Amino acid sequence: MSEPWRILVVDDEPDLEPLVLQRMRREIRGGKYQFEFAGNGLEALEKLRADDTIDLVLSDINMPQMDGLTLLSQLSSLDQDLRAVIISAYGDMGNIRTAMNRGAFDFVTKPVDFDDLQITIDRTVEHLRQWREATASRDKLVTLQNELDIATNVQQSILPSDFPATAKYEINANMVPARNVGGDFYDYVGVPDDRMFATVADVSDKGIPAALFMMSSRTALKGAAIGTGSPREALIEANRVLQADNPTLMFVTVIMSVYNPHNGEVTYSSAGHDPPVVIRGDGSAEQLPAMGGIALGVAPEEMFGANLKEHTFTLAPGETLLLYTDGVSEAMNVEHEEFGTARLLHLFEGNAPKSADEAMTAVFDAVHEFAGEAPASDDITCLALHRNAAP
Amino acid sequence: MELAQERDSGTNVISPAGRVDGSNSADFHEALAAAIADDDSRVILDMGGIDYISSAGLRVLLLVAQRLGGSSTPFAVCSLAASVDEVFRISGFNQIITVYGTLDEAKAQLA
Repeated sequence: MSEPWRILVVDDEPDLEPLVLQRMRREIRGGKYQFEFAGNGLEALEKLRADDTIDLVLSDINMPQMDGLTLLSQLSSLDQDLRAVIISAYGDMGNIRTAMNRGAFDFVTKPVDFDDLQITIDRTVEHLRQWREATASRDKLVTLQNELDIATNVQQSILPSDFPATAKYEINANMVPARNVGGDFYDYVGVPDDRMFATVADVSDKGIPAALFMMSSRTALKGAAIGTGSPREALIEANRVLQADNPTLMFVTVIMSVYNPHNGEVTYSSAGHDPPVVIRGDGSAEQLPAMGGIALGVAPEEMFGANLKEHTFTLAPGETLLLYTDGVSEAMNVEHEEFGTARLLHLFEGNAPKSADEAMTAVFDAVHEFAGEAPASDDITCLALHRNAAP
Repeated sequence: MELAQERDSGTNVISPAGRVDGSNSADFHEALAAAIADDDSRVILDMGGIDYISSAGLRVLLLVAQRLGGSSTPFAVCSLAASVDEVFRISGFNQIITVYGTLDEAKAQLA
């Protein structure tokens, strides 16, 4: 059994401490977590300076003396390899966005759902474990292949798997990594008005620097999505964050959509990425128009926003939205032919998918069948959002 | 990485050939960097011989464009194969890097 993960909980609410100790007692007794507590940001910083074994900071935002956002901006000066998760009031998207932009790894909302909190903590420490392995190995100058394996693990650790499924709609997604090339990821996040953002992205390189860039991209995109509420605005903001410090000109192509379950409305925008595909109720499919964006991270704000558009349409009951990377459209068979968008558009003819899982799985099956023995040359990612047919 | 080069009164025309992906993008970068001189008055990259470029290769072009932008040296690419042109269009990099249809057009218009 390894050392317990050390978690510093920062909240001015005195009730939280006994609640955490009670609800997490099994994990504490089992030696999985160990909790420390601080009443505000200043106290937290003092503890962190005195104790460099803290792995995770779980912090409220509104606190006396030093609030959570200020604490976040101070964490980087500590030079400790830790991650922060923010606890915020439900709907306080402005603060959550600021927190994500200041490097928070994730967030949970109040009132705290302890099951949700535990999933978030588990995911964060798993990511941290992969990340430390990556940086430790880099220090040891491992071979390139090892570095790529580690980067792949870091990539896997940021992918969510608790897919949304309601009576109205569902999401399912998968990413199959290739060796050596690419760096795909997908993500989704709900906002308080019940809309659901879904994102698919493709980072320009692989290896440890690309994995770091992937982390920044994921955080910036998530923060921007919940803060702005608009795919176009979110891409502009994420580009601003990523472009600010990117001397090696890494970039990430992104397709971002937001779905309104109350009326089926979808708004999407894309940055250097293939536009989405909609599968109609009869199994026919069409590719939606491109939105003119430049891949994130390399264009100055003015240039980036100049030609970027977003498009809104209604996803009818029984229809499916597909977001995917070029690992799907450019998959090659042994004859060096491409899978191609046309093949994707004809895939569901006469056989419209009844669920997100069915649509996503069909895409992967078709690509694998097409590619045959040819090794995948790029990561393959597909996210499906299915609006359930009326019961 | 094969790379032909021709200088004509300050215009540096570089013509790489082959396929650029993650496996040779570092060589591609090195070859381009070596082919560009500080006193070039403008640089045109004739991509007619490139039949495939991956995102790692695109990043090299951005780095070259950044270096030349730093010295205010005009830079353009030309003669993109259809598949390479599509990559430029989808990535949006045709908004960052000037693209001409042919080498003659690039020579006549790049300033």
